[in-house]
Parts: sequence; structure tokens; C-alpha cells
Amino acid sequence: MKYDVIVVGGRIGGSISSLFASRNDLDVLMIEKRQEIGSPVQCAEGTTFSTFETLEMKPSKKYICTEIRGANVHAPDGRTFQVEEGMADGDILNNKTISEGYVLDRKVFDKYLAIESAKVGTDVMVKTTVKDLIRKEGKVCGVVAKHLGETMEIKSDVVIAADGVESNVAQMAGLNRIINPDDICSCAQYELVGLDIDPHLLEFYFGRTIAPGGYSWIFPKGEGIANVGVGVRNSTETAYYYLNKFASKYDSTPVELNIGAVPLSGPMDKTYSDGFLVVGDAAGQVDPLTGGGIHITALCARIAGEVAAEAIKEEDVSSTFLRKYDELWRYEFEDNLKISFKYRLIFDKLSDSDMNALAEFFENNDLKKLSKLNTLKLFGKHPNLLKLLKDIL
Amino acid sequence: MKYLVESCGYCGACVAVCSNKLLELTEIEIIIKEGCNDCGRCEMVCPLGALILEEDQ
Repeated sequence: MKYDVIVVGGRIGGSISSLFASRNDLDVLMIEKRQEIGSPVQCAEGTTFSTFETLEMKPSKKYICTEIRGANVHAPDGRTFQVEEGMADGDILNNKTISEGYVLDRKVFDKYLAIESAKVGTDVMVKTTVKDLIRKEGKVCGVVAKHLGETMEIKSDVVIAADGVESNVAQMAGLNRIINPDDICSCAQYELVGLDIDPHLLEFYFGRTIAPGGYSWIFPKGEGIANVGVGVRNSTETAYYYLNKFASKYDSTPVELNIGAVPLSGPMDKTYSDGFLVVGDAAGQVDPLTGGGIHITALCARIAGEVAAEAIKEEDVSSTFLRKYDELWRYEFEDNLKISFKYRLIFDKLSDSDMNALAEFFENNDLKKLSKLNTLKLFGKHPNLLKLLKDIL
Repeated sequence: MKYLVESCGYCGACVAVCSNKLLELTEIEIIIKEGCNDCGRCEMVCPLGALILEEDQ
């Protein structure tokens, strides 16, 4: 068996890479280790409109649970301020207005993307694990895969690794990615039913007793239904412990438990080699502050598929050519990811009282009209916040 | 390292942090290969507590 491109992983990164490679007339195989694409969910399922701009798709009610107009941020002392983002009255069917954010049904969305990819020619193998890469003179030129006990060699000009935070394929290609435990956000989430919530507002809760090193969230998925989750780092108790503590406040019933891990270390230093590209969580293409990554992965995966197509048409899949992928996605995201990482370092050092002080400041100041005077007053009242900024910036 | 397969959520956090790359996530199981030195990194990040250092028991 021989393909132009083999994509390892069938979630968002894999499906989008394969979709754009197939649209460029390549023979593409996508391999997914699970027997069902999209399941289990390992995500809070929020994304922005930019994901659909990347995909050149109109958002559909098939996979969008709700549109988001903003978020409430809750400090450890209960103080709350609201961040407004888009319009709540967006009509995704008639496109009268555009909402800035969405909560997806990832089980449906991931499979929808895989189906779209298959429709333009991508072959898909599920319940198939990549055990090794085939190399020739140092260049990656295929995979050794196992399906229902049968081992097979499948050759290709390019392999794209989109196999998630647990990626071993990048390691097989010689791209070292071992993440420090401090940089992994351990997450647990229930889909709860019976909640009294605003269906268009995200809720974020901060505090050492709520979610040490991270935050808790409520992402609405419809009337009375929401993803209620917790992400923690450097914690002596598990994410599941904090989830149950947080969820016990609500008179509701879980219909799903999701477990996930988010890499917050920033992107890997190099995302390409001869005949090889890495995308998505496997490449660390995640915002290190928020843990959000769907819109980032979407564009990086599109770039990967298109650069692979260009490389194959030019008959040059060397690392020299494939470096273009690395340059293009870094041009789009690297500066923002670096800034987010710096903010994450500041966040790591914030005490609960620091967060309360910041929440008080944001509660009393319009974020769009922040004056230098008011900011100086904040630092005058809380000099440790200024010290944190100086230490890190 | 003791692995409680019934408690595993198959998220791959442990695989990401294993400094010797001895862990592999299959569809519904973590495979621990020979050579684990019980460094405890995987235990630190497991959201469900499915990996436990023997000395912690």
C-alpha cells in the first residue's frame, strides 16, 4: 500500500490536515487508533468563529450546541466580572449575525470533519494503531500499523502526526517532546443536566481550593445542560477530586464523564523533519494560558495539509521544503503563544488574594477604557502584582 | 508503578510526561513497557489517580 500522505490521528487536527491534503488531489490515508472518531470527548468543546473561517464552512446546528456572547469570571472570594465577546442573538442558520464563540458537540463535529474529509477522497482506517515509522536514509516514508492483530507496512511520501497530547509518533520521528508534569493541565469534566445557567455565557472560577494551578468552568450546551469541568496542575489531589467538589454545588445529574490532558508548555521547537509534520496537541499548538486550542489546531492542520500537497507536487518532501509549514504556522500564532506563556507564568504566581484584587479592579473598570492612572492605582495598592510583572516581563 | 485499569480515563497525560517514553496509550489501556524507574511523573498528572507508585500504597 502506498499513499501520498498518511495522517496519524482522526480528531480535529487529523481530519483537517487530511481534508486539505485531499482537496489538493493527494491520495491520503487517515489512521485513528480508536474504533469511533470523536469519542471519548477530551475537551470543554468551546471554540471561536475563526475555526470556521479556517475551514471555509458555515457553522451548523448539526454540531453547535450553543452560541456564546461572553463570560463571567469568578474570583476566589466570589467577586465576579463579565467579559463580553460577541452577540448572543446570532442566527447560525440564517447568518443574520455572527456569534464570536460556540460550544460544540465534539462527538458530532469530529466525525463530521472526518466524513467531509472522506467525501473528498481520504481513506480512513479506524481501530488501527501506528507502532513505528518506516524510514529510508533518515527520511520518514510510511508507518507500521496494526489493525485487529494484523501488522502492515503502509508507505507514503509524507506522514503527518496529529495523535494528540499522548503522541509517540513525533518521538519516533526523532522530534523530542517530553512534557514537564508542571506543564500538563489534568482535566475532568461532567456533562451535567438540570443546571440553572445562562445558555450564552461561559463561567470561569479561580482559586486554590477550587482548581489549583488552573480553573473550573461551566460551558453551556443548551437549556439546563453544560460541560462542568476542572483543570488542575501541581495538585496533590486529582482533577476528579476537585470536579466532584465543584459539581456537588449543583443540583444536577451527570450524563457523561470526560477526562483530558492539555499541554501548556507552548509549542515544540521543531514541527517538521524529512517527510514528516506534527500538528495540534502533539505539537503543543495550544494557548498556554487558557488551554484553548481548537482554532489554533484548525489553522495549523490546514497549513500542514496544504504544505504537504505543495511538497508532493514539487517532488520535494525534504525538511528544507517542509520547514515552510513551521514558518507559516509560527507566523500566525507564535507571538501570541509566547505572550500567553508569559501570562501563564504570572498566573502561576498569583495568590488567591492577588486574584481577588485583580477581580476588584476589573469589576470597577471598563476593560476597553483602562486608564494609566487607574492601573497605577492598582499597582500602588498591590505592589506584589507589579513585582510579578517585572520579574516575568 | 501500579496501573489501575478500571480507573483509567485514557487521556494520555501519563504518556506525555513519561521521560523514558515507556508508556503507550492504546484504545482503552495504558501499556507500561520494561524499564520504568518509578519516577512518579505519571502519577502527578493522572486526572483519575489510575497510576500509583508502589511506595504510596
